[in-house]
Amino acid sequence: MKLGLVIDLDTCVGCHACATACKEWNGASAIAGPLTDSDPYGADPSGTWLNRVRHYEVGAFPESKTINMPMSCLHCEDAACVTVCPTGASYKRADGIVLVDESRCMGCNLCAWACPYGARELDASSGTMKKCTLCVDRVHDERLPEAERQPACVLACPAHARHFGDFDDPASHVSKLTAERGGFGLLEELGYKPVNRYLPPREPPVVPSTAPARADAIHAPATPLDRLIALARKALAG
Amino acid sequence: MHAAFSVIAFTVLSGAGLGVLALVALADLGATYLGWPVLASRQSLALAAGIGLVLVVAGLASSTLHLANPRNAWRSASRFRTSWLSREAVFALALLPVAAALVAALWFDVRPRRMWGFSLATIALAWTVLACTAMIYASLKPIRQWHTWRVPLAYLVLGHASGAVIVEAIVRPDQGATWIASAGVALLLAAWLLKEEYWHFTRSPENALTLEQAIGVPRGVGPPGTRQRPSVMAARLLDAGHSKGTFLTREFVNADPGARRTLVRVGFFVASIALPAVWLAAGLGHPLAGAAVALSCLAGLLAERWLFFADARHTVRLFHGDPRT
Repeated sequence: MKLGLVIDLDTCVGCHACATACKEWNGASAIAGPLTDSDPYGADPSGTWLNRVRHYEVGAFPESKTINMPMSCLHCEDAACVTVCPTGASYKRADGIVLVDESRCMGCNLCAWACPYGARELDASSGTMKKCTLCVDRVHDERLPEAERQPACVLACPAHARHFGDFDDPASHVSKLTAERGGFGLLEELGYKPVNRYLPPREPPVVPSTAPARADAIHAPATPLDRLIALARKALAG
Repeated sequence: MHAAFSVIAFTVLSGAGLGVLALVALADLGATYLGWPVLASRQSLALAAGIGLVLVVAGLASSTLHLANPRNAWRSASRFRTSWLSREAVFALALLPVAAALVAALWFDVRPRRMWGFSLATIALAWTVLACTAMIYASLKPIRQWHTWRVPLAYLVLGHASGAVIVEAIVRPDQGATWIASAGVALLLAAWLLKEEYWHFTRSPENALTLEQAIGVPRGVGPPGTRQRPSVMAARLLDAGHSKGTFLTREFVNADPGARRTLVRVGFFVASIALPAVWLAAGLGHPLAGAAVALSCLAGLLAERWLFFADARHTVRLFHGDPRT
């Protein structure tokens, strides 16, 4: 088994619902919780999160695109965080999930240094390392209806940009999505074989149109009014 | 990378202490079995080795101060097969009794039949612990400034160079300049050249990863119609998703040596290289001069070690908007 997530950069709207749902579920879970905050309503709020969403702009205007990028543990096949851990607190399960046994963690930060993605955060109040559990206490819980045996972030996503499944099964939803859409892992150059896949934005179909091309529309010739304003500005400045 | 003072102090003090132990063991081994000139009285050597042992223990104690949950520190030796930190802990624990036995044998001037065994074991373990410490950093692929052969080499040479200064500071008052002084000058010059080459390496873009690589621009992340030329596309951070500092920004992002880099490099050269080398070569015998030079050498190394952290650019910085590592 190789459990993991597919995250669709085409449909993610960057709403942070996955991050807050994660914080809500795991903050109360016996495995990763509590996820403590310091000064939450004050001038310098900070806290432990297992999933963070960042926003980027790629390309130059007008040919640019905003990319919303949620990031949590990618549950690497060759997880350096497990290799470097001196106490045995970090471990990888047979189903592929990388977890921290906090009763063994000494808070040395070495696993956070070894992770290229910033997936691990030291909790200031417990002094132990916290990370995404892939909601291990949901996905195998047979008391839940089958449709709810998914990580909290996947259930919360309003854009259906997140998918959970077994990448070892070529017929699984996540394997098919990855194959169809050219899913990729982050910083695979480093060789840690991250399991989570990101789907690049789709190429939209070309719609025949008589309207001027996008770049031309942006740089349309100035109207007489534009010229008048420019003249007035010049006169005022001179 | 954020530089915790306890970690900086640990690598500098332990490094110097391990250098002292290796050099003293080497000196006694050479004088006893190989006909090398006697470095100093065995009591002086015992004093030097004792100070080396104290430095190692002080460094190890300091390293536990940066642990957020030190109650579990005793477990740190449990992953010897994979973790360099575990290996360091195991070899350091093995070194302590061996080095203590060496100190005792020197102090009481006893020569057990297998004295060479103690000396050789001390040398081998000191070198191994130094190498393990360095490999904790050099094994981390997300930090390209650390993931290089230069790091273990520099740790070994800097440890022995500062160790030689300390040994000479202790043995010179009763013995005059020794071969350790010449070896120390050579080690200091080698350390200086290694660090200059290292700083040149950290500034070059060799093996640097970019923000575009991190978020997958070469793999098709970008605006429609531009997929054929992703290599020319630049990406920038619009919003990091948090309004104030996080564990990640404090640990990986905020450190920036800035203008202090030049200051540290000059300070390191003057305090840790030039002053000790001149003192070693000039042969001033006053005990206080030796102590002052040894302290100056360690202080310069603390600054050098701070820069080692401040210069290290982890890939997490890319996701926070840095254009390259």
